[in-house]
Amino acid sequence: MDWGRVRFFFGEVWRNFTRNLLMQLTAIGTVAVMVLLLGTFLFTRDAVGKIGDDVLKRIEISVFLSDRATSADALALAARLRRDKRVEGVVYVPRAEGLRQMRERLRGQIDTSLLTTNPLPDALRVRVTSPDRVREVAAAISKLPDVAHVEYAQDAVQKLLRLSGVLGRVGLGIVVLLIFTAAIIISNTIRLTVFARRREIAIMQLVGASGTYIRLPFICEGLLDGVLGAALALVLLEVGRLQLLPKLFVALPFLPLHAVSVNQGPLALELLAVGAAIGIAASWLSVGRYLRT
Amino acid sequence: MPKNPCNVNVRAGRLISLRGVTLVYPNGTRALDGIDLEIAKGSFVFLVGHSGTGKSSLLRLLYREQVPTRGEVTVDATRVDRLRRSRVPHLRRNVGVVFQDFKLLSDKTVWENVAFALQVTGARTKDVMRQVPRVLDLVGLAHKARMFPSELSGGEQQRTAIARALVNNPKILLCDEPTGNLDPSNTNEIMDLLHRINLKGTTVLIATHNALVVDRMRRRVIRLEDGKIVADEERGYYLQRSEGLAGFATSETSAL
Repeated sequence: MDWGRVRFFFGEVWRNFTRNLLMQLTAIGTVAVMVLLLGTFLFTRDAVGKIGDDVLKRIEISVFLSDRATSADALALAARLRRDKRVEGVVYVPRAEGLRQMRERLRGQIDTSLLTTNPLPDALRVRVTSPDRVREVAAAISKLPDVAHVEYAQDAVQKLLRLSGVLGRVGLGIVVLLIFTAAIIISNTIRLTVFARRREIAIMQLVGASGTYIRLPFICEGLLDGVLGAALALVLLEVGRLQLLPKLFVALPFLPLHAVSVNQGPLALELLAVGAAIGIAASWLSVGRYLRT
Repeated sequence: MPKNPCNVNVRAGRLISLRGVTLVYPNGTRALDGIDLEIAKGSFVFLVGHSGTGKSSLLRLLYREQVPTRGEVTVDATRVDRLRRSRVPHLRRNVGVVFQDFKLLSDKTVWENVAFALQVTGARTKDVMRQVPRVLDLVGLAHKARMFPSELSGGEQQRTAIARALVNNPKILLCDEPTGNLDPSNTNEIMDLLHRINLKGTTVLIATHNALVVDRMRRRVIRLEDGKIVADEERGYYLQRSEGLAGFATSETSAL
């Protein structure tokens, strides 16, 4: 390892970097904002996805049996459903139990003591193995004998799916826009450095430095902008996660936020990679344009 | 046709060769017009003529800052006019160039300016530490290695530039008006240095319109006018002898 060579190279990079510090800070700041929003977006998307999964997992299909069905019929049907691979579990709710649960649920809202007879049929509660099977299983069950009516939280499922879809598209649009902005600002920063160093570049070309060698310090500068910006954003994201998320738990108790445990390691690496890639691409473009004369 | 278009056989001893070289700039200016020229290894050649007659253009062809519109340019057995862009750095390490305005980096010391030429071509530190003192010694600036260009005289700045051009051990040194910004005593100093460099075996080609310098040295003089070679004399003068004083008078008056 020739340390003199390494020191010279990084000396040049550092000289470039500190020549126009304000501009570098602008570039770093832009990347930081971009990565921050990208990170928030990815985190939110993961979280909504997880919440969605959790809600969907708990979606049960309520199967109401016809009045003619006996409890033996109900048990037979339950046994038959349990054999289906798509079904995770079946609970038999006799009509008396159903009434008791309803009274429990509606206590204080409706005076259920007025009910003199039990209006409920026997019912089965079916849980399926995967949320996207709910519709299919429900349809199959409704065709079985002794089944009067099938119900599941269709609306809730569809709304949730739609919400995460919209969220995904809007977020993605914003992120793409921000990536462009960051790239343009880095590219401008590098172009200023290139301009400030045009004498050096001319001399390098004159004495026979290779194109790669001339480019490399500028590429490193862009890389530095990208990585530092991304790192700054990661710090802010971590602070946000530690400070805001617990408050969110308290503020939104009805959301199953406990399910949110986004894997932060890979996400952080992804964001750093995005920052680095933008930095390299932007500087490559702006130096390329200058050197291609 | 040779197998490799960039390597053509040249007679031993011939380092630079131009054949039917014409250079027309995009604005239509015909800078060079059918130049045929051969320069032997180890020679010391002046390129003279009024400003705008194509001296600098000719030099630029040799280090591939410019590509001829027509014709062949061969430097050290390499067809420069057909050189791929990626091979240009290799050529430039073999051709040192010095300019009227020195082109030194003001934020670097003499040592750093010279070392820069080696460092940016990826030289090993060991070589930098060996070569830089050698050339600084050659140009007589070893004692000013730590000074910045602004602390040097014009002659010293040009010597720094020459040291930078020589540090890669080029076979050819091209000088474009090297004494254009210097007073007579600095001019003589630089010409003596270039002469010494030539004695060590480097081929030196100098574009100048300094008559005193040319006449004092009495070396090969190639005279350009309107992009054409109008005279080529061994041991020549700035003005052709046939022109005599009358020619001198007319050229001076026409210059005014």
